[in-house]
Amino acid sequence: MNGKNPYLYYGGKVLGFFLSMAVLSFVVFYIARLAPGDPLVSYYGERAEKMAPDERAAATGKLGLDDPVSVQYIRWIRGALRGDFGISYKYKTDVTQVIGGRIGNTLLLGGTGFILIFVFSLLLGILCAWFEDRFPDRVICKIGTITSCIPEFWLSLVLILIFAVNLHILPGSGAYTAGREGDIKDRIWHLILPMTIVVTGHLWYYAFMIRNKILEEIRSDYVLLAKAKGLSKRRIMFRQCLRNVMPAYLSIMAISVPHIMGGTYIIETVFSYPGIGTLSYESARFQDYNLLMVLCMLSGGVVILCNMAAQTINELIDPRIRSGRDNGISEVSGLGG
Amino acid sequence: MHTMENLLEVRNLSVSFDTCEGEVKAVRDVSFSLKKGEVLAIVGESGCGKSVLCKSIMKLLPKAARIKEGRILANGVDITGYRERDMWKMRGKFFSMILQDPMTSLNPTIPVGRQIAEAVSIHHRGMKREEIYRKALSLMELVGIERPKERYKMYPWHFSGGMRQRCVLAIALAGEPQILFADEPTTALDVTIQAQILDLLCDIQKRLGMAVILVSHDLGVVARAADRVAVMYAGKIVETGRAEEVFYDPRHPYTWGLLRSLPAFTRPDEEIYTIPGMPPTLFNLPKGDAFASRNEYALAIDYKEEPPMFQISDTHYAATWLLDIRAPKVKNPAAGRGTFAPDGYRQIYIRRSLSGEDAREGASAEKVKSGSFLSNASSAAVPQARPAVCAEERNENNVILDVRHLTHQFKMGKGAVVPAVNDISFQIRKGEVFGLVGESGCGKSTVARCVMNIYRPAGGSIWYQGIDICDEKQVRKHRKMLQTRRQLIFQDAAGGLNQRMKVARIIEEPMRIHHVKTPRGSYRGEAQFQMKYVGLDASYLNKYPSELSGGMRQRAAIARALSMEPEFLVADEPIASLDVSIQAQIINLFKHLQKEHGFTFLFIAHDLSVVRFLCDRVGVMYRGRLVEVAPTEKLFKTPLHPYTKALLSAIPVPDPRLEKARKLPDFEEEKWSVDGQLVEKQPMHFVLENHAEQI
Amino acid sequence: MEDKWFELVGRESASRVLSEWEEDRAGERDRARSGFWGSFWQKINRIKIRKKKRNRPVLSLCLLLIVMAGCLGCELFIPKDPLYMDLANYAHEPCREFWFGTDTMGRDLFSMIWYGGRISLLIGLTATAVSTLIAVIFGAVSGLSPRWLDALLMRLSEILLSVPGLLLVVLLQAVLGKANVWSISFVIGITGWMGIAKVVRTETKQIRNSEYVTASKCMGGGFFHVLWNHLAPNFISSIMFMVVMNVRSAILSESTLSFMGIGLPLDIISWGSMLTLADKALLSGAWWMILFPGAFLIVTLVCITNIGSALKDGAGSRESNL
Repeated sequence: MNGKNPYLYYGGKVLGFFLSMAVLSFVVFYIARLAPGDPLVSYYGERAEKMAPDERAAATGKLGLDDPVSVQYIRWIRGALRGDFGISYKYKTDVTQVIGGRIGNTLLLGGTGFILIFVFSLLLGILCAWFEDRFPDRVICKIGTITSCIPEFWLSLVLILIFAVNLHILPGSGAYTAGREGDIKDRIWHLILPMTIVVTGHLWYYAFMIRNKILEEIRSDYVLLAKAKGLSKRRIMFRQCLRNVMPAYLSIMAISVPHIMGGTYIIETVFSYPGIGTLSYESARFQDYNLLMVLCMLSGGVVILCNMAAQTINELIDPRIRSGRDNGISEVSGLGG
Repeated sequence: MHTMENLLEVRNLSVSFDTCEGEVKAVRDVSFSLKKGEVLAIVGESGCGKSVLCKSIMKLLPKAARIKEGRILANGVDITGYRERDMWKMRGKFFSMILQDPMTSLNPTIPVGRQIAEAVSIHHRGMKREEIYRKALSLMELVGIERPKERYKMYPWHFSGGMRQRCVLAIALAGEPQILFADEPTTALDVTIQAQILDLLCDIQKRLGMAVILVSHDLGVVARAADRVAVMYAGKIVETGRAEEVFYDPRHPYTWGLLRSLPAFTRPDEEIYTIPGMPPTLFNLPKGDAFASRNEYALAIDYKEEPPMFQISDTHYAATWLLDIRAPKVKNPAAGRGTFAPDGYRQIYIRRSLSGEDAREGASAEKVKSGSFLSNASSAAVPQARPAVCAEERNENNVILDVRHLTHQFKMGKGAVVPAVNDISFQIRKGEVFGLVGESGCGKSTVARCVMNIYRPAGGSIWYQGIDICDEKQVRKHRKMLQTRRQLIFQDAAGGLNQRMKVARIIEEPMRIHHVKTPRGSYRGEAQFQMKYVGLDASYLNKYPSELSGGMRQRAAIARALSMEPEFLVADEPIASLDVSIQAQIINLFKHLQKEHGFTFLFIAHDLSVVRFLCDRVGVMYRGRLVEVAPTEKLFKTPLHPYTKALLSAIPVPDPRLEKARKLPDFEEEKWSVDGQLVEKQPMHFVLENHAEQI
Repeated sequence: MEDKWFELVGRESASRVLSEWEEDRAGERDRARSGFWGSFWQKINRIKIRKKKRNRPVLSLCLLLIVMAGCLGCELFIPKDPLYMDLANYAHEPCREFWFGTDTMGRDLFSMIWYGGRISLLIGLTATAVSTLIAVIFGAVSGLSPRWLDALLMRLSEILLSVPGLLLVVLLQAVLGKANVWSISFVIGITGWMGIAKVVRTETKQIRNSEYVTASKCMGGGFFHVLWNHLAPNFISSIMFMVVMNVRSAILSESTLSFMGIGLPLDIISWGSMLTLADKALLSGAWWMILFPGAFLIVTLVCITNIGSALKDGAGSRESNL
């Protein structure tokens, strides 16, 4: 190993994170301002359209929207560094409060969905690889292909139609029955349908990925050697192939965290599920600048963090990549020494 | 036959693959037996089914393959019908395997020690952790890995090819198998490493009393290690017998051809014998003897019926109609030439360089010692063979390429620098073939790439016909001349040809780039002409490179280079990835081209035996330095640098008696320093300074 | 056996003997074909072999062609004007007059599906064209540029990727003004190019370092020569799959966006905008409004996926070792 300072290494990563966040905030801030639309509408509602010009100017001044964009941006940054992200125009309370009230729901849906996807896709992938090109594999692949072509919202509609409208077994909307917020059973009951959609929407992609990676591993020479030394098929599959696939899988799953979490907004809309998804959609549509900024920074931060996590996982777990950091010239040759 | 004595017996085994083109008969009706402690070598060209044979015995073949017929008896027990579950118990314990490429056969994410320990733990159930660890360490010691405790935790990429092959061997030995299948165990390694691994294998085989089935295409390797030899062709064993019988008294025309096509037994001034044509594709075998269409001595019946095995002695069998009583008596064409006289031409030099005899003394002693026809003829032939070169040797005006103090290094990531080539100077004269020889990683390809302007050298200068090609300005001025007059031929023809272009387009490419007026009218006509010239049928023009065999692809690459009518060709290991008989064909083609057109060649190779046929002068590279430069004959007769001597003696000679008696010197890597300057020790013979003193 | 068989003929006569042998083989083949069992086995073998060959998506291709032809030539056979709002028969169940029923505005679903398919397919194609163009340029530049620029470009695309897709779409839509077919294609295209760009980049890097490009450069092939003759043909085949898949995801995105109300407005008929009404239809249990457009959408997408997968290079060319 050539001496690499771990503080420098991780320090660089942290610095990279904040730099990326700064660039992101700048880009979003400007794009949001560029978009035509009237932020006053979301604050004053219908009333904004009937305002007299001087009234309007006063209202704009009150929200600080009459300054040049750069001034606004600096003001926003200053506030953000102090932990003050401004108020939401629509909800007229602190942005953090608005988000705080809903983020739990999204985390519950997205987080549980993520774990389920992680586990099931691993299982399905291994199953497919084990029965390569035989009946179970073919069936799973076919189902996967078809399911991945179904739009999530459409599947949600069909499921609601079947289970909620026609059969009345499961609730078709909301996160809980009104007045029973603390009831865990009720929550789970409400989660079943949206969770099914979250899982089925993403499962196949990752399962296919695992399958193909394992099949690739199986075709390498060391498997032949492992077989020649007397290892059983199960042992080769789990101890050798899966072990080599795992770093790649973990890092891809890490990158996918925001994808899966963020992917819930359509489902939230269809199921009228009170989460962040609907919130961010509204904020973008109705120029609720402060809310939009925080949501963007939140999701952007998660993305960047996850990317970094993926990279670190790769470097820490996979010795092949770790060797790349040693510049790959640490061969012990011959009998030297 | 006493079944009980045989460790392994294969009877009439046939293995086929089902592919979309039809059934590929990879192994056809093969029978052999293996006794305890015996080394059986299976020899053949690539695609003759020798690997498939081994894998089918261990049941390691993919699903598309199936054993069609025959029986496999292990210790007298029929294992043909064994299922996967039963095979787990056999593998590793009864038989084990080493694969060809050590670079890919270890799991890259598991430390080598643990991979060995894993193998140990399977075969010794109930062993304690501590014991397994110790056993793994002792295995590592057994296969010659020093400081095993330290190496235990290292990952495969920490190791060089030779060390990895040792690890693979340790894994294979973990279950104390009775039979070891070694599938081309040394092919992917350098010559000197190859010799080490081979000796290690033989040593362990003797110590443990194991039986070994050695699969190889290299007759030299086989001669050194094997007790018995089986020659395979197109999925069949065509000749089998004790090593001496097969090497000294071969009976099958294919064996004759194989032996004759070896450079080691051809005089440097004559063409290497080649077996004409290609091996047949195994899914559409012709009727009769598969070898008939390449056989000079084919009988009419060869086209009609497959020959049975004829017995020659108790142990020697061959499948050729020539042995039938009704057949005309044909003698081995090589036998009369004394090819296998133990006092052959080359062996003298090897022995001398080994014993460290004074070279000059040796030269005079040679005439006295060797009464054999061959060595006399060859030493007489030398001056006649190259009078033109000798006359021009000192003429500086004829220098076409002048490399002066060339230095190049590679940047690896952050700041680290790997030196590749260090202060190399040599000159190539017009019409000369200059060989550059060295092991992998010694920087010879880098030299070629610097010469071709692919890399910009970090230091030194390269002059091509008076143009400094390291100077951007001059290069730009003479760009067209440089690009047309110099051409490059790659080692791996498959990589050098765009897989998505038809052969015709590939050959036309340089002409299209330079909008050349072709003497034969159209580009296509020119391509056709070049194809014919390099010995390819014009019908291949419309095929893709993937549809061609290795030798054909290399011919296409040569045709492309020739289409610009260059005067200087750089060939970067053009034959390294080819079969022996195809290698000979390509060497002859190069030789022919050189004679006909007077091309100047920079020919790069890792194998000294090949260089001898083609090159007028040879430079030997070692760790980025040129350690010795001399005219070919001088280099072979009186090698001065110890590394050259090592290289020369490491080449296994296809002569079992000689090869088995020979002891190889110890090779240690990076043993010799590479400091100092080249000095002219003898006329035209340069060697690195600090070693020149020792002589 | 007579002795003439043991004449030394050498390999010269090989061609003569081989041609005779060919005739022999032909005869044998004929013999094998005759008879019931012979032909039976041949058929079995052929089925077995065909299974192992790359399966061509004939069915998918046919279905897709039918759908496309139907959409393009819908004027010829649709019974109603898809834009006409028959308010007397709103939300009508499927019947003889309205084969697939009507929507909440009284438009005939059957006619709308064929008519709206055009827009959906058009958006799929244009969006893909946009994203492929961006991806190829970005990927090729990134793959060909020095290391630092490559790292910068990759970082840039990562940051772009970190803006949630939906937000980006909303913002872009807002910038572009009222949604129409072109603007929505552009928006979908501009948000969906990263995947292809990555493939193009790695492919470019690989090809750039390959020996045949080196050879071509040695022969004097300029940048454009290499680009046209070596780079393009090689990566076209490797991104073909991605591009086809992009068509699929573009159609998917369009339908999702329209459903969310940020895509096409109701009066521009596409499969997505038809489903916009489905949300409201749910409560009344009007299943036909959800099922029929959805079914068409999914069948088309599955066909495209199958065709795309068939385009993928045969990755499983090596046999399994396990």
